[in-house]
Amino acid sequence: MDLSKLKNRPSYPFETIAVALSFSPQCKFILLEAKRIADLLGSTLLLLHIGTKSREKENELEVLMTNAGVNGNLIRVIWMEGEPVDTILKLCKLNIVDLLILGALQKENLLKFYIGSIARNISRKAKCSILLVSKPFVALIELKKIIINGVENPKTIHTLNTALYLANHLKVEEVTIVNEVDVPGLTMAIADDSTAPQAKEIKKNITEVKTENLNALINKCNKGNIIIKDKFIKGKVGYAISKYAKDKQADLLVINSPDTNLTLFDRIFTHDIEYILANLPCNLLIIHSRISSR
Amino acid sequence: MVKLAHDELIVLLLAISTMLIVSRIFAELGKRIKLTVVMGELIVGIILGPTILGMACPQLFNYLFPSTGNVPIALDGIFSLSVIMLLFVAGMEVQLPLVFKQGKVAIYTSIFSMIIPFATGFAVAWYFPEIFSVSSEKNTKLLFALFLGTALSISALPVIARILMDMGIFQTNVGMLIIASAMFNDLIGWLIFSLVLSLTNNSGEHMSLGYTVLSIIGFGIFMLTIGKKIIDKTLPWMQTKLSWPGGVLSISLGICLLSAAFTQSINIHAILGAFIAGIAFGDSVHLREQAREIIHQFVTNFFAPLFFVSIGLKVNFITNFDITIVSIILLLAFIGKVLGASLGARLGGMSKNNSLAVGFGMNARGAMEIILGTLALNAGLISPPIFVALVFMALITSLTSGPLMKKFIEKC
Repeated sequence: MDLSKLKNRPSYPFETIAVALSFSPQCKFILLEAKRIADLLGSTLLLLHIGTKSREKENELEVLMTNAGVNGNLIRVIWMEGEPVDTILKLCKLNIVDLLILGALQKENLLKFYIGSIARNISRKAKCSILLVSKPFVALIELKKIIINGVENPKTIHTLNTALYLANHLKVEEVTIVNEVDVPGLTMAIADDSTAPQAKEIKKNITEVKTENLNALINKCNKGNIIIKDKFIKGKVGYAISKYAKDKQADLLVINSPDTNLTLFDRIFTHDIEYILANLPCNLLIIHSRISSR
Repeated sequence: MVKLAHDELIVLLLAISTMLIVSRIFAELGKRIKLTVVMGELIVGIILGPTILGMACPQLFNYLFPSTGNVPIALDGIFSLSVIMLLFVAGMEVQLPLVFKQGKVAIYTSIFSMIIPFATGFAVAWYFPEIFSVSSEKNTKLLFALFLGTALSISALPVIARILMDMGIFQTNVGMLIIASAMFNDLIGWLIFSLVLSLTNNSGEHMSLGYTVLSIIGFGIFMLTIGKKIIDKTLPWMQTKLSWPGGVLSISLGICLLSAAFTQSINIHAILGAFIAGIAFGDSVHLREQAREIIHQFVTNFFAPLFFVSIGLKVNFITNFDITIVSIILLLAFIGKVLGASLGARLGGMSKNNSLAVGFGMNARGAMEIILGTLALNAGLISPPIFVALVFMALITSLTSGPLMKKFIEKC
């Protein structure tokens, strides 16, 4: 597989958008929204189905496409058999997909969480950006409340620019960049020999440094006409932003892709992103910037 | 039920108040000359113990800290409770996901900073036991070698965190790498040490190595998966439905003691139960920052001084000072840790100077080393001269860690 075209490919514009079709009840909505987004961004739409191709399924797809206003002559549909996660990931790489749209349950039972569902396993391994649609009743092109994770990471500037590119096309007026403040070992370091003002000063300095870094990041990004608000929240990284997005009833949460392929180990010793995947607070956009964070 | 006599209760209260007040005064004075609080408390122990007070005023020493009657039993109970609490809060700060999040460099640094000091300590103890006056009988030698390896490979997370903060590099790549690797060292170190203590168990019950290892692993897995989930589910309820912060404080400390009692009952030392309960508790996303701070403050300002002062009460630091043992342990500590951690960081892709800074940063042993040494001394695993050498090593590595790290970080 020639992956040279993928390397260093910018995370936006979304030239090719793929939709993983599962023929679930959500599928109709997801296809409709994917079509609307593709039209808005001028993207090529690609439909993927992993499973046996049959006359019955073809008819079902035709009905779905007609309802979504998708012209079957203008888009490609790929049918392939195989293990769903690996096959979808392979097809995305082969077809230089920039954004893969998938339906996902908001929450899965404990066993399924540890074993991993198709949508979540794709999110953990994908080499392209992923949009997990968990709220089929919210029209994607009418998103209003977008929250972006402003974690300190080289990937974040790409995530921010990609989210702003999308927000600009969706005519969103305001986005919130959230930075989680969680310093491991801090409590221990100040517990025994800091006076109350010293402890307060230490915490204040940490927030000030984070604010400076976030402001520098915001100044570097392509804002357009969008108003960017920043917000600092305390708590465990991943969990805190997920809770914030839920509390604020956000329509879309945008985060960086994980730095490495996540495994079962990352679910036991919970990785930041796993807190979000465990209980999706809203629709989730994972931006793969195709650069290494290290 | 045996009760403390009227006079015994007075002595007990006087002893505890003396330890708390004098150690606080020394800790505050020590801060002015950049001495850690633990070191100040340790010095108070030496002053109040047989080393100084026992020599200068034996009547007062024997009155405050009698060696017979019910007072020493009561004090021993308090000291045991203190070490359990200390391990609980140490566990609360361990965040294993941090190690994996830091990637290759953290994994290499964690592993090498553990393996090389362990191998160095083990090899010297195994091949030259006579240096430490340890019997060359195979089992005794093996246990001592395992202990020395562990003692040299452990790090002191609280001291390291404080040094990094004072240097203003807490949140840099180097700082987070050191913190993550020290957390990993602590976890593995305490697991191995629990194994060594279980094998040293003098309760008379014979424990097979396989049973002990399986018990430790089984308990660890249970607490970090199912135990953690239970804590995670009940914490929000505790923090909202019970009185605040009393509810969460009593339940968390109760869980710590329950877990410690369980590990003690299956013949693994109580400290492991407390440490693992601390990890499960501290890792909960629902644990409020304020609750974490309250637990830390309570333990580090009440139990920690009692424990660290008690160390000086047990051993005469002058008569047990052996320059040969101190020098060898100090040398092994520096070589093993600095070499191991630097090599790991270098292999993980860090620059030469930053790798050395990581090595010297992780060399600080501090409180953890002293706790480990005390438990080993109580278990009869080491002699007082080795314990004294470990305390000196902890003191010197903690004092030199910051300046040496600074020297290399500045060059970058």
